[in-house]
Parts: sequence; structure tokens; C-alpha cells
Amino acid sequence: MVKFLQFTLIRAVMSVVTLLIVSLIVFSLMEMVPGNCAERYIAFKNTQGQVITIEDIQAEERRLGLDKPFMIRAGTWAGNVFFKGQFGDSCILRLNINNLLSDKVWISLGICLAALFFSYLIAIPVGIYAASTRNPLANNSVRFISYLGLALPSFLLALIIMLTTTVLFGESMAGLFSKEYRDAAWSFAKFMNFMSRAWLPIFILGWAATAFALQTVRALMLDEISKLYVTAASARGISGRTLLWRYPARHSLGPVINSLGFDLNRIFNDLPVVALIMTLTEMGALLIDALAFSNDQQLAGAILVILTACIVLVNFVTDIVLALMDPRVRTGLMG
Amino acid sequence: MDLLARSKQKVTDQSLKEAYFTASQTQLVRARFKKNRAAMVAGWVLTLMILAGFFSEFLSPYAPTMAGRDKQYENGPPQMPKFWDENGFSLQPFIYGTKRERSIKTNFRWVITVDREDRRYVRLFVKDWKYSYIDLNWDLPGDAFDVNFKALTFSTHLFGVDKGGIHLFGTDASGKDIYSRTLRAIFTSLKCGALGVFIAFVLALIIGGISGYYGGWIDSTLQMITDAIRTVPPLPLFMALAAFLPQEWSAEAVFFVISSILGLIGWPTLARRIRTHLLSERSQEYVLAAELCGASSSHIIRRHLLPSFTSYIIVDLMITFPYMVRLETALSFIGLGLIDPVSSLGSMMQNVSKADILLNYQWYFIPVLFFIAFVLAFVFVGDGLRDAADPYTDARK
Repeated sequence: MVKFLQFTLIRAVMSVVTLLIVSLIVFSLMEMVPGNCAERYIAFKNTQGQVITIEDIQAEERRLGLDKPFMIRAGTWAGNVFFKGQFGDSCILRLNINNLLSDKVWISLGICLAALFFSYLIAIPVGIYAASTRNPLANNSVRFISYLGLALPSFLLALIIMLTTTVLFGESMAGLFSKEYRDAAWSFAKFMNFMSRAWLPIFILGWAATAFALQTVRALMLDEISKLYVTAASARGISGRTLLWRYPARHSLGPVINSLGFDLNRIFNDLPVVALIMTLTEMGALLIDALAFSNDQQLAGAILVILTACIVLVNFVTDIVLALMDPRVRTGLMG
Repeated sequence: MDLLARSKQKVTDQSLKEAYFTASQTQLVRARFKKNRAAMVAGWVLTLMILAGFFSEFLSPYAPTMAGRDKQYENGPPQMPKFWDENGFSLQPFIYGTKRERSIKTNFRWVITVDREDRRYVRLFVKDWKYSYIDLNWDLPGDAFDVNFKALTFSTHLFGVDKGGIHLFGTDASGKDIYSRTLRAIFTSLKCGALGVFIAFVLALIIGGISGYYGGWIDSTLQMITDAIRTVPPLPLFMALAAFLPQEWSAEAVFFVISSILGLIGWPTLARRIRTHLLSERSQEYVLAAELCGASSSHIIRRHLLPSFTSYIIVDLMITFPYMVRLETALSFIGLGLIDPVSSLGSMMQNVSKADILLNYQWYFIPVLFFIAFVLAFVFVGDGLRDAADPYTDARK
């Protein structure tokens, strides 16, 4: 038990270190954008009709702490993010980022996690079936679908679905809410409305992830099925589904759980593009806005850190779950 | 000779057995790859596409830029060369002449009408706009350093017509020939992917090599950084990097920077694989022998360790390639990468994102099909190579 706690602690420390490195990278990226916050604020005041001097900009820089060295500013920023969960203000929108993101983060994460869940819900049984069947038609079609998942990028799929639904049904599937619920407070009706629309982004985000997961599951199962312990089990008279689920499936589950973090990574990857096509208004759309249109470095940095933090968290949890579930890993840890 | 199949049958012929066991790694890989029919087909498709991209100027009747636009045929549908119609048969393929008119009858919109009486014959090897295979045009700071060098200039194109234009895949809103642009786009995406893969590969080799060879705390630190970069979703990171490109940069500069960013983001996975392999190879006897002979670290890495897994590296590069192309496409699609006058598969896909296109100008989707075929071919070839390079694939089946 002590060993296990030790393991958990080491994993937790490593996750925090990873996050620190990432936030340092993100902060350096934010600094690379030409022009700092002070200039932006002053430029805004300028549009309001005030006359601006260099001294004004410097005073503003002092007020925002922008005259301090790079490492101190990076440290302050990371400290605020980690210990207070505060991302500061966006100097383009002049809004607090936490307020701006609050709802949208949960909507985005919900959609992404649902996509992840459904992709594995499909990939695990189908992958196991494809690995165990000798039916060439089923085998080849699974292979082809998983290849197509690589070749047909999700933005293309989203585009085709969007255009087809618009042309066929006349009603656009864009957006997460219909008009009357867009600005309404959360209620059961709004939730149902959300659910009736959210399946499309979930499907599109899950598409590529399913293809990848399918390949992983199938390859792992193929590896395990040809091993001797499976032959031994079938010699003992176990056959069919019982055999598959009891032996090879359990063994290949470990690596599958391990790959969850990377699949989430892949889903996040598609989030902004899908948001753009479907004109969603959640985090992905904000990210595109911040990067492609307004050069809003604070907002973009905050979103990047949030996305990465989720992946790190998932990686941490899967490591722990794996250690709890898999006796091989467990004994390896506890000696 | 199919080494593999014959070795599987119990051949008593000693020489054949010998051929199998003495075959070099390359020969074995080639023999295994040839057995994989899907990969072979994909390989041919890929070769054709790469050739088409490389000779895009020769194969396309018009320049893929604004210079090659056809003002009389904007948003024009594809024209298919025909051999016969109601007016009789012709050995030389022909297309119909078109007229563009706008009047009260057409509701004051430009409408293109086909004149079936006006035959325009397709001719081979026509002389038209000039192109150079070696075209260096660098605008460096200082006039003295400007390089403007052209060589291997030709003006022959595979086909063309005397009067009007021939547009196999139709034209876009400004009258640019979609067929010419598609070929050009394949070339651009290939270039972009190749440059990105190359940069990623060099970085991965250096970082993975150092990490795997020295081990210890150097390895742990480098692995931590590599893992940290790997956890950041690549596309948002890529967007963040690309967002800093100044708007006024030339298309070439943007292209170069985009490719470099692809490389800067793509190295961690490769680096990890190289490191893992080095770690396991490092403890082999031949490395110890070289060390005892007094060989330096860099000599051992270059001459002994790297050749031991060249085939894996090649396969990895093949597999990485379509991801690079996809990333570039996604970025251009958002509008942060290469933008419209540049023909890349992504910038051409950006054009299809309107319902209007699906209803009226379906031929805009032709480059999309090429993109899918391109990526699929790469994935199949990459997978085929991976299976072929892995000596255990036979045992598994």
C-alpha cells in the first residue's frame, strides 16, 4: 500500500512538472506576439479619443507589471494559473478570462469526453470481433474504415454532413442550440435542445478517434490471440465469446486504457476546426477567434493550458487505474 | 523471385533456401512488400501522384496562378474531351466552344452556354506559358544578394486547345483552372510535408539520439520535455505558432515557415521511438567492441547504431508524412496557413466550405477526392512498409 501511494505521488509530481513545462512553453509563445498588453490598452484608449504619449504606455506597463523580467512574469502567470486558477484578463476583449470561459469549458469538455466514450464503446467490441473473425469481408471493411478515418479529416466529414443536411432538410445543423435557447438560462428544455444538436459534433469528433482506437484494439487483440495461453484455454474447452472476453481481451485492455490520453489529445486537435465549421460558440471557437482573428494571446494561452491540463489529468488517472486493475503492473510496483 | 513464398513451401532445393537466408534486409523487405497487394496498388497510385505533382507544369495546360486564369470561363463546369457526337466521329478528341453572356433573359447574371456546333480540337504538345524546373528567386536584404536564376525552361505542355480554353476539372470563381491547380497543390503539399518531415527527423535524431545513447539524467530530462510537448494537442499549438506570421509576408516565406513549424511540432513521437531503439541496441556487444577499440560516441552513433535501424526510421517517416499533410491542410482550411492564390490541398479545400458550392459548383470537390486518395495511398504504403520491415509479421499471421 505504501508502495502504491509512493507510485501515485511520483505520478502526481510528474504530471505537475509536465504542466509546468507546458505552461512555460505557452507563456513564451504568448510573449512572441508582437505588442504587449499595455500597448493594446492604450491603443484602445486612443480609439476613445485620448491623446497618448510614450510615458502613458510606460506607466501602463508598470501598472501591469510588464517591465519585470521574463522569468518573473512567467512565474507569476503560472502561479496564478496553478494556485488560484486565475487566467487574468484578456487585453483585447478587456474581460476576465475565467468569466468568459466558465460555461464554454464544460460544454467543450462534455462534448469531447462523450466523443471519447462513444469511440471506445464502438471500437472495443468491433475491434475484438475484427481480430477474432476469419470473415474476410468484415476484416477488410474494418481495415478500410479505420484507414478512411485517417484519410478523411474530420473537418471534411463535418463539412459534408453540414452541407448535405442544409441542402436536404433546409435547416442548418450549425450551432449547439436553436435560436430560442441560445441566450436562455440552463433549464431542462435547454438541455434537451442541446442534446438534440450535440450528437453531430460528438459524432464528428469521435470519428477519427474511433478509427484510431479500432486499429489499436484490433492490433492488440491479434497479438494476444495468437499466444499460447489462448490455445491452452480453448484446449480446456472454453470457446467463443467467453474465451475472448476472459483471456485475450483482458490482457489487451491495459494498453488500450493507456492510449486514452492520446485519443483525447486527438479529439482536442479537431475541436477548433469542427467548431469553425459548425459555428459552435464553445472553447474551440474562442481559440480560433483568439488565434486567427484577434491575436488575443492571453485567451489562447489559457485555452491551451486548459486543454493540456485535461490530457495530463486523464493520463494520471489512467496510470492509477491501470495500476489498480492490472495485477502485472500492481505486482511490479509493490514488489 | 518471390523469396518468401518459396521459403514457406518445404523446398528441398538447397540453393533457394540459401537465397532466403543470405538475402539482405532490403531484399527481404521488398519481397514482403510485394506480397501485400493493397500496399502495392497504393504504391503505384502514390508514384503516379508524385510524378504528376513533379511534372505539374508540363501536364497542366494553364498556370495555376492568377496569370493562368480564363476570364471568359469563370465558375465553368468541367469539359470532357469527346470523340463523337450527333455531328459525327472524329479521331482527334474535341471539346465544345463556350459563350458567356449576360442579358435580361439570364436575369442579368453571367451564364455560360455551350455551342455544340463549335468544335475545338485537343492537340498534344502545345507551346504555351513558360516554366522552369530550376527557378531560384530569393529576395534577400541588399540588392547584391538577390538571386534570380532560371534553368531548364520549357514551354511545352502535354495538351491544349487553339482557341478558348480546356478545363478538365472546371474553373473556380476567378477562372483559374482547377485541374492545373490540383496538380500544383499535390506538389505543394508534398514539398510542405517533405520539409516538415525532414526537420522533424533531424530534430528527433539529435534529441532522441542523445537521450538514448547517454541515458541517465540527460535521458530523464529530455524525456520529460518530450512528453510535455507530446501532451499539447498539436493543432492548437500549431495554430498558436502560425498565428504570429505577419500578414504581409510573401507566399514562399509563409510556406517555408509553415513547413518548419510542422517539423518543430512533429519530432517528439519520432524522437521517442529512436530513443527506445537506441536504449536497447546500446547494450549489444558490437557497441562494446567499438567502444573498446576507442571509437568516439558520435562515431558509434553514426556508423554502428543508426544503420541498425534505418528501415524503422524510413517506415516511421512514411507514416508521419500523411499526418504532416493533414495538419497543413487543417491549418490552411482554418485560414492560418497557405491562402488562396497559393495552390495547396488545404487552400483548395477552403473553397468548398459553402452550401452554394455544393448546390451549384460541385466540381470544386474534385481536389478533395485527390486529397483523400493521396492520404490513403500514403497510409497504405506506410502500413505495408511497416509490416514488411517487421520480421515477426509472418509468425503473427
